[in-house]
Amino acid sequence: MTEKKEILLKIRDLRIEGYSDEKWIEIVHGVDLTLRRGEVMGLIGESGAGKSTIGLAAMGFARDGCRISGGSVEFDGLELTTTAEEDLRALRGNRIAYVAQSAAASFNPAHKLIDQHTEAPVYYRIRKRMEAQEDAMELYERLRLPNPREIGFRYPHQVSGGQLQRAMTAMAMACRPDLIIFDEPTTALDVTTQIEVLAAIRDIVDQFNTAAIYITHDLAVVAQMADTIKVLLKGNEVEEAPTAEMLENPKEEYTKSLWAVRSFKRPQKPRPTSEEPVVSVQNVDAAYGPVKVLDDVSFDVYSGMTVAVVGESGSGKSTTARVITGLLPPTTGRVLFKGEELPPNYRSRTKDQLRQAQMIYQMADTALNPKVQIHEIIGRPAQFYGGLKGAALKSRIDELLDLIELEPAKYFHRYPPELSGGQKQRIGIARALAAEPTFIICDEVTSALDQLVAEGILKLLDRLQKELNLAYMFITHDLATVRSIADEVVVMKQGKVVEQGPKDVMFTPPHHPYTDLLLSSVPEMDPNWLTTLLEERGVDNIGEAADK
Amino acid sequence: MDYFVLGYYTLLIGASCLAAYYQQRPIFMLLFSITLVSFVMGIIGGKEALWTTTVVAASIGLAAGTSYGFREFLINISGRETQKMLRTAPLTASFGMFIIFTYAIMGIFAPVIAPYGEAEVIGGAFDPPDENMLLGADQLGRDMFSRIVYGARNTVGLALMATGAAFVMGAMAGMLAAVKGGWFDQLMGRTADVIMSVPSLIFALLLLSIFGTNLTVLVVIVAVIYAPRVFRLTRAVAGNVVVMDYIEAAKLRGEGTWYLIRKEILPNSTAPLIAEFGLEFCFVFLLLAGLSFLGLGIQPPTADWGSMVRENATLISFGEITPLIPAAAIALLTVAVNFVVDWMLYRSSGLKT
Amino acid sequence: MKDVLIIVLKRLGLGLITLFVISILIFGAVELLPGDIAEAVLGQGATEENVAAMRKQLGLDRPAPVRYLDWLSGAVVGDFGNSLVSGSNVSEVIAPRFANTLFLAAYAAVIAVPLAIILGVIVALLRNSVFDRVANVLTLTSISSPEFFLGYILILYLSVKTGYFPAIAKLSSDMSLLEVLHRTFLPALTMVLVVMAHMMRMTRAAIINLLASPYIEMARLKGTPAWKVIVKHALPNAWAPIINVVALNLAYLITGVVLVEVVFVYPGIGQLLVDAVTKRDFPVVQACCLVFAATFILLNLAADVGSILTNPRLRHPK
Repeated sequence: MTEKKEILLKIRDLRIEGYSDEKWIEIVHGVDLTLRRGEVMGLIGESGAGKSTIGLAAMGFARDGCRISGGSVEFDGLELTTTAEEDLRALRGNRIAYVAQSAAASFNPAHKLIDQHTEAPVYYRIRKRMEAQEDAMELYERLRLPNPREIGFRYPHQVSGGQLQRAMTAMAMACRPDLIIFDEPTTALDVTTQIEVLAAIRDIVDQFNTAAIYITHDLAVVAQMADTIKVLLKGNEVEEAPTAEMLENPKEEYTKSLWAVRSFKRPQKPRPTSEEPVVSVQNVDAAYGPVKVLDDVSFDVYSGMTVAVVGESGSGKSTTARVITGLLPPTTGRVLFKGEELPPNYRSRTKDQLRQAQMIYQMADTALNPKVQIHEIIGRPAQFYGGLKGAALKSRIDELLDLIELEPAKYFHRYPPELSGGQKQRIGIARALAAEPTFIICDEVTSALDQLVAEGILKLLDRLQKELNLAYMFITHDLATVRSIADEVVVMKQGKVVEQGPKDVMFTPPHHPYTDLLLSSVPEMDPNWLTTLLEERGVDNIGEAADK
Repeated sequence: MDYFVLGYYTLLIGASCLAAYYQQRPIFMLLFSITLVSFVMGIIGGKEALWTTTVVAASIGLAAGTSYGFREFLINISGRETQKMLRTAPLTASFGMFIIFTYAIMGIFAPVIAPYGEAEVIGGAFDPPDENMLLGADQLGRDMFSRIVYGARNTVGLALMATGAAFVMGAMAGMLAAVKGGWFDQLMGRTADVIMSVPSLIFALLLLSIFGTNLTVLVVIVAVIYAPRVFRLTRAVAGNVVVMDYIEAAKLRGEGTWYLIRKEILPNSTAPLIAEFGLEFCFVFLLLAGLSFLGLGIQPPTADWGSMVRENATLISFGEITPLIPAAAIALLTVAVNFVVDWMLYRSSGLKT
Repeated sequence: MKDVLIIVLKRLGLGLITLFVISILIFGAVELLPGDIAEAVLGQGATEENVAAMRKQLGLDRPAPVRYLDWLSGAVVGDFGNSLVSGSNVSEVIAPRFANTLFLAAYAAVIAVPLAIILGVIVALLRNSVFDRVANVLTLTSISSPEFFLGYILILYLSVKTGYFPAIAKLSSDMSLLEVLHRTFLPALTMVLVVMAHMMRMTRAAIINLLASPYIEMARLKGTPAWKVIVKHALPNAWAPIINVVALNLAYLITGVVLVEVVFVYPGIGQLLVDAVTKRDFPVVQACCLVFAATFILLNLAADVGSILTNPRLRHPK
């Protein structure tokens, strides 16, 4: 804070409207933003906070169905809201660049990476074609892409997601812009891949002293990247402060609640000694056609306990759930339920076997039939398994709604699309409970929810477990969730169980190398976490470690 | 230059100036381009061309007015949800609904509306229109107007029946295939592929040459030819529903196939299926009209629009428009249905994004 | 490239199998006749001896599979047997007429394809404008009109009332190409009207679908000018859908030609098929159907192979 640099971007009272249901509705309600040269500002907020819309508005751009309806956006002295489209275009890609969330979809599949990279600098006559290619390779090298001289000559589908994201950052740098908008650049990546992309982005922004707006919903990520943080809620600014100050001392209630989210933690329960496990997965192999996806997977789940199955995408954790429910019969191995072997295919299981094991899904939107009323969704299992009818059924539905803390009279006749994400997830839980199960598989139940809501769901699940003595199998990639709710942890990688054991053991070193990589890759709130981690690992072998 | 031409240009130019003054850009562009086109047409075709333009413009205006009125009428008589939906309907869609409504009335009350029977000979061959016969007589001296009215019942009725049959078969098979999957799905898919790789009109001709022409055969043939198309769409729509987690939940609960189709899939596929019914109806209707036109559809003396075109085709060479009237009746209904379907498809695609 | 070759070969194989199944279907359908061909052709008034004689002449005493193989092996080398009505060789009757039909379809395609694609792209770029809406109404109307309606309107206004073009498209061998083009203009125009509307709508939908992809937004955010977005970023990915649109409509041209040929009394294969159906001349019906089906399958095949070859993901495998 010794010297104030020149102001690059000044947004005042920005208002943006979106077109839906045949009318224009304001979605950003007067946001101010000031960004100086070389600064990185983090925009953080839950879905629907208007982060991306504001980011694009900083380029004078509004998506189809959106329009800037008021306020001013001043970039380096130029008022973008009144500038002609042609002149705006001359800024984009040249002085302001954009890095999109999904690099795989945002690279044109028909052209080589390097051709897409050189398009802007050649068009703006900043560099000749050959120079631009040379420059691209240099940028690829700085971003620590493997084979920097060769990788640009590949097509997008020939390159992995994390590498594509770095190539897109390189492309954004092609004209050495004054400002880059990063729109959730690591959201679609696995944690271990996320690290290298974060590190690469941070370094290059630093090296070229580029100003950036970094949009994300992940607090820990923004803590690593930004100098200042601005918190948004439903198109309004909540507060803005330098990163360290914001982390230590948030002022607004909403911000505090965001920071507090990861505080929920329940004590770990020991494994019962005399009892038989509710579910026992024994030496299971499974395959989709010729592709083997599970290799000798074994673990037990005891009643009243939560086993968290952790791994990155493609690790086989969801496939394990499919084997247990009988959707994917294993090629070898078996699944025992209270000591009895379950038929491999769900079609040959008895009604009672089906009733005992229930499932709660990640996406509540697709887990509930949108055309059926809540009472029917919850009532059907009770009717189907329990044979309840009339008044008995109604009182059971009321009881279930009470259990998930939703007012029966209010929600009985509603349809799922009328509910919020958290409420839908609660209905999903009620439907599972309606069958009176002993075992519930929770498949990433909180990952599609905003953090506060997710916290509520975790607490509810914990309470229900105590009251009904349920056994949970918790599938997740989020280690924070594991820390808060698990008793035992199973770590999976590429269809194999890498390590398993009680939570406290698993979270204290020494770890299996992969568990260690996984654990250390989860971003922490500490702004110095990334720097420290990179030093510990030694910058050069990050990529190597993650590629394995 | 007479008063008509003078008035014509005054009105057009005046209206475009007004539009320009009130900054109604699309209206101005439309009016002014009509003005420019009129200059050229007036020079080439003289007053008559301008007169034609006026008549066309007036009929479009009339149609627009009727559609607007009909939409307001529908909004007034319908419930709340439907009202909200109808308000978004473009004029073309309400025009379509109006035409469908009119045809339905014409078909249902044909004997009341038609002044004569459909096979009744009341005049000489090709008698010109007079106060008895609104549209003149056909090649056997039957009243053209009455036959058109009865045609609404016969032609549209047959097409509806055939579409219905194709739809029930195709939709059931499609949903079953989506739920069952596996070999059943494969078998149905391959069968549909094979049937669809023969062009529909050719397939119909082949089957008609074998089984002869009667109503049952027609319905069955059309159903067989179009069921695969319905199957494909239903399979695709149901396929999108089947991957939803609520279907998995229901399957894991142990629900049977019939429950899945009735309770889970059907309610989530109605919108695209209704639109598809409209589209299929158009195809079937045009196919049947084509067959009738070739003399292989509904047989005389039953009044049918396609056959009427064929029977009166010779009149064209005398510059008479009589054979065009039944053809126009076919086109009008198809256009109407397509307008409504287009709106429904636009709605369902617009809601997604 | 090897993978692409395998995919293309697989697709070709599938096409062959489909054609084979269809030949069974076409042959088998006639077997479904109540009674047999001889009875059906000669009618109820025929004497026992006549029917028996015809059976013998057609070789109906042999089992169906044998006759099928016989028919198929003939069909492969272009021999479809003799017409039941005229007794002449079916292939000799079909060949010149099929050439006529192809000529008419090609005539219509040459006008319709470029026009429809250009107009379709323009409409897609101007989407939701007045121009787009008017085009939408016009194309819908054109699609909804039966071919004979459009045909007769053209005859009425361009032939009977003004005399610009002849109403009947009879051909003779001594006509010059210009004369033939003039004679067949109305049938060609009729098909152009129908097919163009279809193609315009499909092209518009394909382009709009493409313009919604994230990489198009990325190109715009890179400051790429509008024409370059279309030419460099949209077009290379638009080939597959456009090839599909064209092939589908060419297939439609070939088969939709039947009605148009009847309206304009054009000596094509469609006209022949309709005649044969009315006279129940089965060998001719079978041959025509097989020719139509083969053309249809071939065009669909071409579309699939075309989209495989233009797909960058398949052209440049991992």
